Amino acid sequence: MQVISTKDLTKFYGDQVGVKNLNLSVNEGEIFGFVGPNGAGKSTAIRTFLGLLKPTSGSASIFGKDIIKNGPTIRQQIGYLPSEVFYYPEMNSREMLEYHLRFYPEGNHHNINELADFFELNLDKSIADLSFGNKKKCAIIQCFLHKPKLLILDEPTSGLDPLMQNRFFEFLQEQNNKGATVFMSSHILSEIQRMCDRAAVIKNGEIIAVETINELLSKQLKKVTLIFKEAPTDVQTPDSFLNKNLHHQKMTFEFKGQLHELLSWLNNQPIQDITIEEPDLESIFMNYYQR
Amino acid sequence: MSLINQNLFLKELKRNRKNLVIWTSIVVAFTVLVLSVFPFMAEMGKDMTMLIDNMPVELQKAMGMTSQTWSNILGFYSTYFGIYIVVLVSIYAASTATTIISKEEKEGTSEFLFTKPISRRTIFWSKMLALLVLTLSIYLVQTISAVIGVYLFKEGHVDWEHLFFMQLNGFFLVTFFTAISLFISMFMQVKTNFMGMVVGLTFGSYILNAVAKSTEATKFLGYFSPFHYIEFDVLSAEYQFYGWAALSFTIVVIVLLFSSLIKLKTKNLAG
Repeated sequence: MQVISTKDLTKFYGDQVGVKNLNLSVNEGEIFGFVGPNGAGKSTAIRTFLGLLKPTSGSASIFGKDIIKNGPTIRQQIGYLPSEVFYYPEMNSREMLEYHLRFYPEGNHHNINELADFFELNLDKSIADLSFGNKKKCAIIQCFLHKPKLLILDEPTSGLDPLMQNRFFEFLQEQNNKGATVFMSSHILSEIQRMCDRAAVIKNGEIIAVETINELLSKQLKKVTLIFKEAPTDVQTPDSFLNKNLHHQKMTFEFKGQLHELLSWLNNQPIQDITIEEPDLESIFMNYYQR
Repeated sequence: MSLINQNLFLKELKRNRKNLVIWTSIVVAFTVLVLSVFPFMAEMGKDMTMLIDNMPVELQKAMGMTSQTWSNILGFYSTYFGIYIVVLVSIYAASTATTIISKEEKEGTSEFLFTKPISRRTIFWSKMLALLVLTLSIYLVQTISAVIGVYLFKEGHVDWEHLFFMQLNGFFLVTFFTAISLFISMFMQVKTNFMGMVVGLTFGSYILNAVAKSTEATKFLGYFSPFHYIEFDVLSAEYQFYGWAALSFTIVVIVLLFSSLIKLKTKNLAG
């Protein structure tokens, strides 16, 4: 079943593009990444899903229901973590979380105290006195508290220390294992690489690729470094070797193609050592954006 | 989906209670102060009558005074009622109206509230119900303080019915100013400070009507002021509840509320 599906979803701010012709589908139970630099349209898409923004054209549905007609019903099953957290300064975290919970039908919710212990949040401190990171922790608890079926996370780890980021991802994984679908935007690719099954890459409001993380990685150039036994004068290479660079005994090049082609070529070379590096998402990402 | 969300409604009451207490205290203190001055004024009755008689007719009309005004506690109270009580309560209610929705957007909490499983219609009416309760609270407490004040400081006969009518009439002006301020705020930038607009609107309307009443030449101005349609001349024998005006104001208020709701429903909430 598709949890999120959009059809040509478009949002303009005046004549400025927010998102354009967005076509996405997120399946039940997957962790879907939404990758792009600041201002690419990630938050605009998310805010449209949640009903904060009204689409200019196109449509979207969540749990098979139209986001405009059935907003309140859909939102019962959504946990939303905004990138920047704004709360009522006159409340403390406990009051805030209890207030949040009262908007949802009664049921089997997480325990506020347990989550606060897990994320190390002092519930009795006034919101006005919380640091950015602590506010974020409160927002994380809020997002999970009512046990939503869909988690929409906008830059989830901004403001968290690495230890807390880890704890957050563990908890997220646990919720996913229990069946929650996750849609997370990020510009931190290691997060996407670590957590997501699939990802969409967005640029200037338009999606330029939707692939599984493995596909994204495999389709890309591999960086090969060779050390020859003796420094060769010239090396003949197939056309699929790119950016060849020979320096004394060491040769580097980038390879994209069938592996056996590379292996058979290597077979005939007097080489002493070889390293083949997988590209990380970072370089793929740069690749997409420089095109 | 229900029209009112109890959780939000209670939160709004709680959030605004401090402001309500402060404004109610000011209005009540003012009411009691004005009424407590009356016995001294009445003592000077003859002199005051002479003083008023010597005032230019235009000024007398503008202030809604006649030579009898200061010899009767209701007449005395009525000259303050329009400009101070109605205007002050209106400023309170209208300024609350301008912020009750815009504040969420201004402070970024709209991202919290509007992503909850409730519709914008429910958010709107829950906040409006809270606004109504807040406005009724301050107005009711003020009315009670006026009744007690009049009872304590009266001299001679008091036409209680007229006092009741005046208080009732005043409330329709308050609701009008509240609704129009809310409506205007829906079309303005959320960063705007609405207090200036609210004070200008309420006080300005009062002054406009005062100017209109003072001479024949300026009479037409009165039609642009809501104060023109509801008078506070309690000493007139036929003073009554302005049923038609109240009905018209109510209709205008309903139209303004629904227009504000439509605006809210179609609005993009800035992040």
